[in-house]
Amino acid sequence: MDRKIGIFICSGCDIGKSIDISRLKAVAEKHGAAFCREHPALCSKNGTDFYYSELENKELHGVVIAACSPRSKAGMFDHDRLLTERVNLREQVSWVMEPGHQDTQSAAEDYLRMGIARVAGSARPVPFRDSYHSSEILVVGAGITGLTAALEADSAGYVVHLVEKADRPGGYASKLAGQIPYKEPFNRIADPVIFKRIEELGTRKNINLYIKTTIATIKGQPGNFEVTLHGAYNGTIRVGAIVTAMGMKPYDPSALSHLGYGRLPGVLTSVEFEELIATRRYSEIPGRVLFIQCADSRDREHLPYCSNTCCGTTLKQATYIREHNPSAEVYIIYKDIRTPGLQEKFYRAVQGDDAIMMTKGAVTGVNPNGNQIDVEVKDSLIDEQIVIPVDMVVLAVGMVPTATEDLNLQYRQGTGLPELKYRFPDSHFICFPYETRRTGIYAAGTIRAPMDIPSCMADASGAVFKAIQCIEAVKRGEAVHPRSGDLSWPELYMDRCTDCKRCTEECPFGSYDENEKGTPIPNPARCRRCGICIGSCPERVISFKDYSINMMTEVIKAVHIPDEFEEKPRILAFVCENDAYPAFDMAGIKRLSISPYVRIIPVRCIGSVNKVWISDALSLGFDGILQIGCKPGEDYQCHYIHGSELTEKRGKNLQETLETMMLEPERIKTVFLEINEYDKIPGIINDYLEEIELIGPNPFKGM
Amino acid sequence: MLRIKPDIRFKKEITRISGSPLGECIQCGNCSAVCSLAPEDRPFPRKEMAWAAWGLKDKLMGNPDIWLCHQCGDCSTYCPRGVRPSDVLAAVRKITIQHYARPGFMGKLLSSPAYLPVAIAIPVVIISVILMMAGTFRIPEGPVNYSKFFPHIWLNTTFTAMTLFFYGMAFIGLRKFWKDMKRIIPAGGRKSTLFKSILQVLKEVFGHSKFSGCKSNKSRNLAHLLTFFGFVLLLLVTLYAIVASITHHYPLSFTNPFKILGNIASLMLYTGITIMIARRLFDRGNAGRSNYDDWLLLISILLLTASGTLVEAARFLEWGWAYHLYFFHLVCVWFLIMYLPYTKLAHIFYRTLAMVYARSVGRL
Repeated sequence: MDRKIGIFICSGCDIGKSIDISRLKAVAEKHGAAFCREHPALCSKNGTDFYYSELENKELHGVVIAACSPRSKAGMFDHDRLLTERVNLREQVSWVMEPGHQDTQSAAEDYLRMGIARVAGSARPVPFRDSYHSSEILVVGAGITGLTAALEADSAGYVVHLVEKADRPGGYASKLAGQIPYKEPFNRIADPVIFKRIEELGTRKNINLYIKTTIATIKGQPGNFEVTLHGAYNGTIRVGAIVTAMGMKPYDPSALSHLGYGRLPGVLTSVEFEELIATRRYSEIPGRVLFIQCADSRDREHLPYCSNTCCGTTLKQATYIREHNPSAEVYIIYKDIRTPGLQEKFYRAVQGDDAIMMTKGAVTGVNPNGNQIDVEVKDSLIDEQIVIPVDMVVLAVGMVPTATEDLNLQYRQGTGLPELKYRFPDSHFICFPYETRRTGIYAAGTIRAPMDIPSCMADASGAVFKAIQCIEAVKRGEAVHPRSGDLSWPELYMDRCTDCKRCTEECPFGSYDENEKGTPIPNPARCRRCGICIGSCPERVISFKDYSINMMTEVIKAVHIPDEFEEKPRILAFVCENDAYPAFDMAGIKRLSISPYVRIIPVRCIGSVNKVWISDALSLGFDGILQIGCKPGEDYQCHYIHGSELTEKRGKNLQETLETMMLEPERIKTVFLEINEYDKIPGIINDYLEEIELIGPNPFKGM
Repeated sequence: MLRIKPDIRFKKEITRISGSPLGECIQCGNCSAVCSLAPEDRPFPRKEMAWAAWGLKDKLMGNPDIWLCHQCGDCSTYCPRGVRPSDVLAAVRKITIQHYARPGFMGKLLSSPAYLPVAIAIPVVIISVILMMAGTFRIPEGPVNYSKFFPHIWLNTTFTAMTLFFYGMAFIGLRKFWKDMKRIIPAGGRKSTLFKSILQVLKEVFGHSKFSGCKSNKSRNLAHLLTFFGFVLLLLVTLYAIVASITHHYPLSFTNPFKILGNIASLMLYTGITIMIARRLFDRGNAGRSNYDDWLLLISILLLTASGTLVEAARFLEWGWAYHLYFFHLVCVWFLIMYLPYTKLAHIFYRTLAMVYARSVGRL
């Protein structure tokens, strides 16, 4: 072996009781290890001292640590000079297989060989650095979110460019009469916080405010975005990261004529009503006002979602009415009153007003009756059908996100941010809030999800932290997220590229742009290092230094396939590192029994599996291939958005491969597993083994 | 379709009497779920809470459901918002009694401590006038003999006439109440005859069966049972006494079975009332809110019983101020019997009628 590899085997945590370490060492030596050391507890102080002292002054290519899962003791064996690879003998072998059994020993030996092959096939990554790096932050929109983001970024020491298309900062928050209570005792309308923020803005030197300005184009990648501004200010700035705080628009009420809007003069939206109060036109507010909650929301015809703030806004507006007209009567017709968090206290305070009447119900008609308006409500708490005569009707309208196309991104995949549901940018909001599918561009505030002012401010801080993380990671040449700190990045061997555009189309993050011919132009700083492009490339052009087509082929080859007559099948499982692999670890921790006939290869994303790995494995004699990825679909759990979907899509291609190899379609199976579904793993594997048994051994075995 | 016209003053009145933060009701329906008396179809008090919060007086005044409630307090115990539905229903009942009071001012007279002096003055003046007319408005000489002070012929005729007058007025109000019940809860599919319903309700009233389902206020069952039967017995004894006074076997001797029965009845009253007062004083959480009307009734029953006992004692022990006590006792009788349609005791009428109605339309 030309690349020297050192091997450490830990015999602690039952590994030594389950596996014959001396035979394992023999395997290591047979594969040309520079040295192989055993330790009873490698993670102990004594063990790590031993580990690092053994590596001192040794000229090595890399180290293989055969011990527990790489998710355990993460970072403990990292080395600043050497590639390190963890072989998971504990969770994947000794804890899940019969101790001392020959099959268990075979599994351990295979995994050690696979680990050695992985190191041998990898090189130390060289960080990617662009020609220019900016640490400045662009904030789009100077509403409450944008202002807060700008102030927070400035406080953290970053230069900010704050772009606002209106003629002054403040946004919708500055047009409010008052703010829904946001602090103890939560029972009084608060003064809008925005004005203090605007004042504060004037005191900051490192925030450049561009009013009456829009974005003409955004080009480039994190650390080096080139932003062209248009309007009162024309010019180009360079920024490292972008916070989009473009806010929301109220739902278009012209679609609400069934509730009287546009038909009856006394029917207005909550936004219009807020203006009446903010401009102190109380005389225009009559004695009986009825609020229709969810006028557009939670309704498939209009906005299917809840906008989070309309209930609080109505309670606030009802309070204003009552404060200025003690004889006024207010009615609120709701689907459910939703006052998140401690806004509940405000709700209770308003409930205490004897002249504010609320009921659940569905408004079935808003009709003129002389000078008044008859509002018909069915299924109310009062009676099946009621009519409430009032003088004014206010429609509580929800939020619609501003179109992100206005960012004018010069990306091959489009000018806006990709959307998930209801036109909000897709960021997998549970796992990765603020992140959009454009690395370095973060969504905050009502453009990300409907929310109130305090949430906008929290969002702004969160998004700014993300932006800073991005700037600093890119400066070091690291992946930003979710593989934070990863120094590898995709390199393209362009001589073989056929301009098929699959990588440029399939990259979930729009990393690749294209020239006129369709040749991919990579932007490594946009890349999240999922390797989906590796899976997409039919010409095997794309590789990472430590994750490549050839490396994986060597890993697959490292498994010893028993011949047909031994009747010991072999299944190769490509397992997603993000959810499925931790589930396997949990199965190990729970000491579930897993068949020793399966060999697990962790992959960056199930979408990174290249067809050639599968055909290689099948031609080597593996009886079946399992691909275990994260849950796809509307509530996807894939860390890289659509890796699992792509795997499903590519399934057709794979079946063609099977046909040309004259193999049965069952030889490849794709399974989606949630991170908490560890208990399903033994069943998944055993079921598949049964399926494989039915179709018999792979005829390529032993060829 | 119901046209909504909230009566905010009515809502405020309920809030004032019940002390309940009415608006905080979130209509979860827990109250109706835990109530052992609520019918399955449109159970109370959930809907009554909504009507109260909307000030819908028309829906509540002639509503039989508020009388089906025996105020055990389970709903208040289990209310997650502390809105105390049982107190709200009690307040609505109180307002109902005033609402149907005929003449109307009598309802008002007995609803507030401010009018108490007037409420006392009325019987004092009327009884004095009767005594003057009878020519006996002075302390008689010789051994204590109350008929010398208030001749039986005068007592029986005037008091019976006054009772008939007040109850006749009450009848007008109750007729309106019956009509309103018919409007608010129209006759459903399952119906029972009025006669059968009355029999059933009487069985329930005498068996006190509606009290037994209560969890939060077990001691109330015994207290009300004692008070109720104490009253029934005293009513029998009084009727016998009237007959006896006509047949000149009056006053009754101390060993007369009816006299003994009367004394047992007053013991029952003492016990019942003491439990009730103690609960209202020392177990406020479970007893519910105590208002003027609650205290007025309890104290007048206590005073009636106590003065009755003293009047009896004064006769046998020949006390000097026997006639003063007797006069006081008559005022107490007035408070309880003549004022009955206007005090909390009117629940005898309203609850019985509501239960009969509810049964006749298949709501029970």
